[in-house]
Amino acid sequence: MLRHDLLVVGAGGAGLRAALAAARSGVDVAILSKVHPLRSHTGAAEGGINAAFSEQDSWENHAYDTVRESDWLADQDAVEVLTREGPDAVYELDHMGAIFSRGPDGRFLLRPFGPEGIPRTVFAGDTTGHVVLQTLYQQVLKDRLRVYEEWLVLDLILEDGFCAGVLAYEIPTGTVHAVAARAVILATGGAGRLYASTTNAFICTGDGMAIALRNGIPLKDMEMVQFHPTTLPGSGILITEGARAEGGYLLNARGERFMGRYAPRMMEQAGRDVVCRAEQTEVDEGRGVNGCVLLDLRHLGEAKIMSRLAHTRELCVTFAGVDPVHEPVPVRPGAHYFMGGIHTDLVGRTTIPGLYAVGECACVSVHGANRLGGNSLLELLVFGRRVGENAAEFARNQKGVEISEARVRDAERELARIVSRSDGERWAALRDILGNTMSREMGIFRTGEGMRQCLAVIKELQERYKRVRLDDRGRVYNYDLVSAIELGFMLDVAEAVVVSGLARQESRGAHYRRDYPKRDDDNWLRHTVVHRDPLGNLHLDYLPVRITRWLPAARVY
Amino acid sequence: MAMEKIAGKLGLELVGLEGAACTGAGVLQERDPGLADTLNARTLAMAERLGLPVLTICSTCQGVFSGTLYRLNRDPVWRARINEKLADLGYTYKGTARAAHLLWVLVEDIGLDRLRELVVRPLRGLKVAAFYGCYILRPSWVVGTDEKPERLKYLEKVVRVLGAEPVEFPGEYKCCGFPILTTNRRNSLMMAGTHLTDARRRGADLMVTPCPLYQPEAVKYRDPNVRLPVLHLPQLLGLAFGFSPKELRLDRHVVSVLPALERLSLKV
Amino acid sequence: MLVTLRVRRFNPETDLEPRFQEYTVDVPEHFTVLDALITIRERIDGTLAFRYSCRMAICGACGMRINGLAGLACKTALRSALNDGTVTLEPMGNMPVAKDLVVNMEPFWHHLRTVRPYIEPHPARIGPQNEYRISPELVDELSEVVRCIMCGACFSDCTVDEIDINFLGPAALARAGWLVRDPRDSRAADRLRELSKPHGIWDCTRCFFCVQVCPKDVKPMEQILRLRRLAVEAGITDNNGARHTQAFVDSVKETGWLDEFTLVPKSWGWNPVALLPELPTAVRMLVRKRAPSPVHPRQPGVDEVRNLFEKTERKRSVKDDA
Repeated sequence: MLRHDLLVVGAGGAGLRAALAAARSGVDVAILSKVHPLRSHTGAAEGGINAAFSEQDSWENHAYDTVRESDWLADQDAVEVLTREGPDAVYELDHMGAIFSRGPDGRFLLRPFGPEGIPRTVFAGDTTGHVVLQTLYQQVLKDRLRVYEEWLVLDLILEDGFCAGVLAYEIPTGTVHAVAARAVILATGGAGRLYASTTNAFICTGDGMAIALRNGIPLKDMEMVQFHPTTLPGSGILITEGARAEGGYLLNARGERFMGRYAPRMMEQAGRDVVCRAEQTEVDEGRGVNGCVLLDLRHLGEAKIMSRLAHTRELCVTFAGVDPVHEPVPVRPGAHYFMGGIHTDLVGRTTIPGLYAVGECACVSVHGANRLGGNSLLELLVFGRRVGENAAEFARNQKGVEISEARVRDAERELARIVSRSDGERWAALRDILGNTMSREMGIFRTGEGMRQCLAVIKELQERYKRVRLDDRGRVYNYDLVSAIELGFMLDVAEAVVVSGLARQESRGAHYRRDYPKRDDDNWLRHTVVHRDPLGNLHLDYLPVRITRWLPAARVY
Repeated sequence: MAMEKIAGKLGLELVGLEGAACTGAGVLQERDPGLADTLNARTLAMAERLGLPVLTICSTCQGVFSGTLYRLNRDPVWRARINEKLADLGYTYKGTARAAHLLWVLVEDIGLDRLRELVVRPLRGLKVAAFYGCYILRPSWVVGTDEKPERLKYLEKVVRVLGAEPVEFPGEYKCCGFPILTTNRRNSLMMAGTHLTDARRRGADLMVTPCPLYQPEAVKYRDPNVRLPVLHLPQLLGLAFGFSPKELRLDRHVVSVLPALERLSLKV
Repeated sequence: MLVTLRVRRFNPETDLEPRFQEYTVDVPEHFTVLDALITIRERIDGTLAFRYSCRMAICGACGMRINGLAGLACKTALRSALNDGTVTLEPMGNMPVAKDLVVNMEPFWHHLRTVRPYIEPHPARIGPQNEYRISPELVDELSEVVRCIMCGACFSDCTVDEIDINFLGPAALARAGWLVRDPRDSRAADRLRELSKPHGIWDCTRCFFCVQVCPKDVKPMEQILRLRRLAVEAGITDNNGARHTQAFVDSVKETGWLDEFTLVPKSWGWNPVALLPELPTAVRMLVRKRAPSPVHPRQPGVDEVRNLFEKTERKRSVKDDA
């Protein structure tokens, strides 16, 4: 039996930051990830990291902007932690070796990101996430942390109400292992792949959220799915918000800067949810270009594009065949980020002692109904460290629990059942139906009717999933099986998203209902909490939003 | 020298660049890229002054010139900086110079049809392995193989026109190892030896290369089973044009060319 | 459009030897090689194994050989890769094949770990309260290396690693090339000394393969050459590589041309024992009258060459290094 004090599942920014914090507080830490750490989706983050660095800024400003952008659904005590600890978390990363863009004085160069207009976002060109991930991984090498590379988590092991480890599938050999740990941190990232059009990597399949749900652990605000306003058609590849922060325009087919009609003050810099709805409205009303609007960067000039948006240009040229120096780039909204996730407190604790969650798979909640661009990398730095330290502290005071080998045998039998099934459907066919349905009914505009249909489709897919058939019956690198397992996770997460959304009878942030187009603070200024009972039924509960100093107000752009 | 001999046949008038410097072969570049570009810009400016293109018979020199041209022609700031250093010597690189390897000139300027007419002694029955040399191949955007991918098969085409049969082998586009001969002798010889062995196994009688760096290197691979002679491209052309092996200095090769020549019923 | 993917396959559970399998699929014109591979595994043959994740050239998972050259499948437009309607896909080189297009990258990671790819501040030095001051010029310069995504393409096609897997290889050396220039690191001199040892910077043949295949334009070879420069400037010249370069540079400076006669002995520091293996070759070359002339006349124009040497040898700016 493999045994560690602390096991971190997921090796993106949140997982690595947590693991480093835990290791540096003296416990034996291992990291388990279904891909090599450097392949994690954190590396795809482009724009930057917010924190109140400058003299004219303050953590209160940053906190207020975060709360307003969340449409007042964020917990303000969590936002205070995030924004107060922000600058130090970024300095810490700088001291670890991150290379962020600098001004002439050698200090951080700051980019005005999002609606606030205050230069607050530290960045590394337009590959900030890449730099964050490389830096954290370098520290993991420095500390010589054990990494179980290409191990897919299958399930949690709960013993006597405590989390005692995980079951995992070693992809290179096809072996199931139990990894015992006194504490487990889930840092498995988001689930953008629930949608047909997403900025997310193929690995973003909501594994940790699904595993928590299956074990009766509540998920929070799952209906809050952020769409990003600028993604490339077809591939869904992300074009950073930095493109607009640097001064890019959004144009419709008539060449109008249409944001003037939706957000006269903030224009392209309005909240992501607002810009997405504006774009979709332009397209729906016939002013789009092949289902897209146009992102125009030409007036920035080649020099600025090359120094600040080099990767963006490369992406446009490579994946859309358009050079933004010379032509506007067609863009459209795409699923981008899960504000919701595993319900945790301010130090990452879930409802199960010994089980923690952090990063996109968790919901503390600092993003509420709409995340402020530049806050997700900050979240994983600030809360990664906090959760790592707290989980380490817990692990140190915890006795190890024996895990029955029967769990491994049961899991092996279950996988063998999937592998040996001789007739049935391909997982890819089911995933396509899921993605298209979610994009259509759980996207930027939602209705009760649409969501009910979506839920029916998901229920049907869950039944059909029980008869999924594989081509690959081998043990070594059976990615066919991996994808099938991931689809199972996705279907369970999708159900939680739709059930949560169907119940919320208002429009708030990313959750916009045509049948309830107004925000309703009297009834809905509260978190949706969903959990699954042992029979597999989902139940909804609600938690109040923690308000410390900023009373709800209208968001005006 | 073989090149001087074949130039007349090809209708090329060779004009020596009096005072030109060594291209640096990539070594000078690693010590001081700015200095290397300056020296080569001077050579190119000399050619510009004569209104003539630079002909190279060495893949490495060609690659170095291509690299200098790539930077000078794309980066006006860089060009101005280099020209500043050349100014008091009376040189300016204007941006019109051309540097071309004999291999490219053969196919692109002279033409394979004309080449065929010049063959008086077809190299029939001779199996020839083509080895290009790094600098004439990479980076493709610098040496022009992005725009002209057909350049990757010129040697084979020429070999065929000369009447010989090209032999494919895996090392065709790889490195001969010469630049690390003094730093890692084992690796250097392994590289050369692998290519010679592979070519020999596939039936090659000799190897032809547009890169003279490969020759001293191949000499050192002393496994008696893989004694494959390596000819510089002008030497192979000279044979087909009817020059005697002695005129082409084939008698001076450390690895005997004799067995290969016997196939052509030629003696040294 | 109808395309054929010729894929080298190997399943260690059933195959003794790799084999090629052809898949013909009808895909949209704008597809990448990765899009086509995904179409195959989802619609035609779920046993086909390959790694992929971000599909936007930033995670580095989908490295493979495309028509013989390493690259990212996601960054390669299918149309540009087709030869008569076919593209050939093989696993990366210099690493053991685990299954189909999946390789075991441990040799690559091993070298990365060897160069200690993390900054090591001086233990006694206290860092600033906030961020370190770093000039924007240096950040720009380093960004070329920082953007490496560790996909392994350079290592796959490195001609030195092909014959000597102990060579640290392009990616690891490029990463080291960042750290020796990072003002936060305290081990620059030690690093340069370590990198000047066998299997390090002087083992690169300058074959340009890594520059050619790198999907992020890191130009690993240029980073290695920069390290050589930095090592020499730091006075670490007690090796054949540094001596070879010096001899070459001296020869061009003094005569305008390369003195081949003394290049080899100078590289060995005129060490008679080390030179012994070269002797038979030299003797044979003399017998065959192929040896370079021991008399190395100065070329005309050498004064101008020297003039340029002296001009540029005066303190070079950072930018000149680029």
